[in-house]
Amino acid sequence: MARRAHQKTPSSLLFGFVAVFFVFAAVGAFFLQKGSNPYRTVEPLKPNDYFENANSLRGNIYQVEGVIMNALAQNPEKGRLFSIVLTSESKKWPMPIFIPSKLRQINLQKNQSYRAKVRVDDSGILVAEEIQKS
Amino acid sequence: MLVLDSIHLQIEGEETPLLSNISVLFPASHFGAILGPSGCGKSTLLKVIAGILPHTSGALYWQGKNLENEDLPAHQLGYVPQFSCTHPRLTVRENLIYCARLRKKGTPQEIASTVDQVSEETGLTELQNRMAGVLSGGQLRRLGLAMELTTQPSLLLADEVTSGLDPKSEEEITELLSSLSQEQGRLVLLVTHSLRNIEVYDSITVLTGGRLAYSADPRDLTHYFQVKNPELIYPALAQRDPEAWGQDWDELPKPEGMTPRNILGELESMTISEEKEESLELPSFLSQSWTWLRRRLKIFFRDPAQVFLQLSLLLIFPAVVTLFAYRGLPEVRNMAMSSDTGVVEQLRDSLAFTIQSSRVGTLVSGLAMFQVILLALMGSNNSAREVVGDRPILEKEKLAGLRTGSALFGMGLFLTFLVLAQSIWMTLFVRAVCQFPGNLFDQFLPFFFLTGGVTALCLAISSWASSSEQASLGSLYLVGFQLPLSGAILALPDFLGILTRPFISAYWAWSCYLQTLRDTRFYDVVRFITETPLAGSTVSLWILLVHLGLGGVFAYFGMRRSQWR
Repeated sequence: MARRAHQKTPSSLLFGFVAVFFVFAAVGAFFLQKGSNPYRTVEPLKPNDYFENANSLRGNIYQVEGVIMNALAQNPEKGRLFSIVLTSESKKWPMPIFIPSKLRQINLQKNQSYRAKVRVDDSGILVAEEIQKS
Repeated sequence: MLVLDSIHLQIEGEETPLLSNISVLFPASHFGAILGPSGCGKSTLLKVIAGILPHTSGALYWQGKNLENEDLPAHQLGYVPQFSCTHPRLTVRENLIYCARLRKKGTPQEIASTVDQVSEETGLTELQNRMAGVLSGGQLRRLGLAMELTTQPSLLLADEVTSGLDPKSEEEITELLSSLSQEQGRLVLLVTHSLRNIEVYDSITVLTGGRLAYSADPRDLTHYFQVKNPELIYPALAQRDPEAWGQDWDELPKPEGMTPRNILGELESMTISEEKEESLELPSFLSQSWTWLRRRLKIFFRDPAQVFLQLSLLLIFPAVVTLFAYRGLPEVRNMAMSSDTGVVEQLRDSLAFTIQSSRVGTLVSGLAMFQVILLALMGSNNSAREVVGDRPILEKEKLAGLRTGSALFGMGLFLTFLVLAQSIWMTLFVRAVCQFPGNLFDQFLPFFFLTGGVTALCLAISSWASSSEQASLGSLYLVGFQLPLSGAILALPDFLGILTRPFISAYWAWSCYLQTLRDTRFYDVVRFITETPLAGSTVSLWILLVHLGLGGVFAYFGMRRSQWR
């Protein structure tokens, strides 16, 4: 047993601590990052499939993330129709998204990025069920 | 009784051993001097006895117990090093009180009584209220001795405590040590150069070139070395090889039963009676931390320069940040949503928005990063010298029984006060002047964890550094790299960003702060101008917490390791 005054810490123990900390940090960050998207369990919309045949997607629920471009139409009772640009595979895809009046509490601005849970309605338009800033 | 049996100490890579085959014994109630020319291994031998330096081979026995198996209890060992272990901004009495509180349990009355007793013993009663910083060399040595006597050690080691003193002070200290050796069977060993008044010692041990040249009665000294007076011993030693002196002493017939080997034989054949263990309980972990914290606070508030510097940083840094937006953050004008306007109108609108986004986004992002960097700078200033500056005192106190964890906890509490003050004031002041929107507490959190994290990391640097300059430089680099590697000003290449971001506290605090503006247009304009991805607030706080924890663990191990100079 070493004497009290010349205690040494093996460098392997220190490296071990660093490794444990990094694993700890990485695992924690991974789970926390995953948890930051509330729609992570919802399948992302593939713009290519949508443009090929939107009718085949009718009734399905997806998550989308994009930037609001323009207001296309609005009806105070029903809601607002916007064009939104999604980025996928380095391409930009403009799409229509309808924000029902029940979601009017969110402040929608041009050039702002949003993440939404959407349903493809019978006419092929994306109807937001939930929406938040991303 | 202290027995040294064939003690050998060799440093790796060095041909000549620092100590070679030192076998000597010192009985209880004994005052021994260890003499020899400079570099002969006197202080090294004392450090080996104290356990500060590990010997390569041989064994040390204290009261029959091999110290390698069972170290001396902290309270039984008193070690007075060459350097002063006192705090210059505390009075003599405060130095003694805090020293006693760190080493032994007891009520305030018991501690005060111990301090009175050792002050009287060492002749410090009249100097109780004098600051240690204004004491003379002799008075400082007395204070050093008094601090060791608070636990009534049975082995008192004094390393050159008479060096550099005037003859009168030297004589007084030597007499004091002699009288201390008469108390409670105490063994006192003094390392000294001085050959004056050698008759005061019970034994003289002479070392030369790491070898034992003599260890016996002072009256036989001149006869053994064939010199007329003791002052001529050093020239005599220089005339022959240390090995020859060592060999002569080894071969000299010793009185029967008085060699270390014989004594050891006797000790081994004896059943060491389970004496009533002289026990002196150490104060609890929290008690030591509390004492450490109180002492640190007292020293801090007695240092006007330190208080002034901390206050200046606390007040000036946030004020500097607000210079860039002292009228508040500008309003962000939104783009027209309607698609009814003409193309030219839309392009004009888009251009105006881009210019505005660039200006406001740069301002908001810059203000956030400016706060972060200045807080990181304050964090490094908090702790860069905290350990390394008083390292000798820490080592001395660890030897005397201070737990590393207690010192770190006390230090952590002290630094938490600073970190809290800095992060709260920065958040409040900048928010109030620049009119930052968002949740106040959410904005305080990343600043608190950032300042705490940098403080902890710099504390770790301080605990591993071998000099204050090294610690300051290391801490400066730590802060200096935060800005360029955060990606807040210029986006890093993707691969580099992924590699460096985990280590850059500023990036996580900056991201987390900007996330508190998420529901405002300020967040959008920052996103518009920066290519660096912004991390989520929970992840950011988590990484900052990991930085803080990592700094704390490394600081603990850095403080725990032995770093005697």
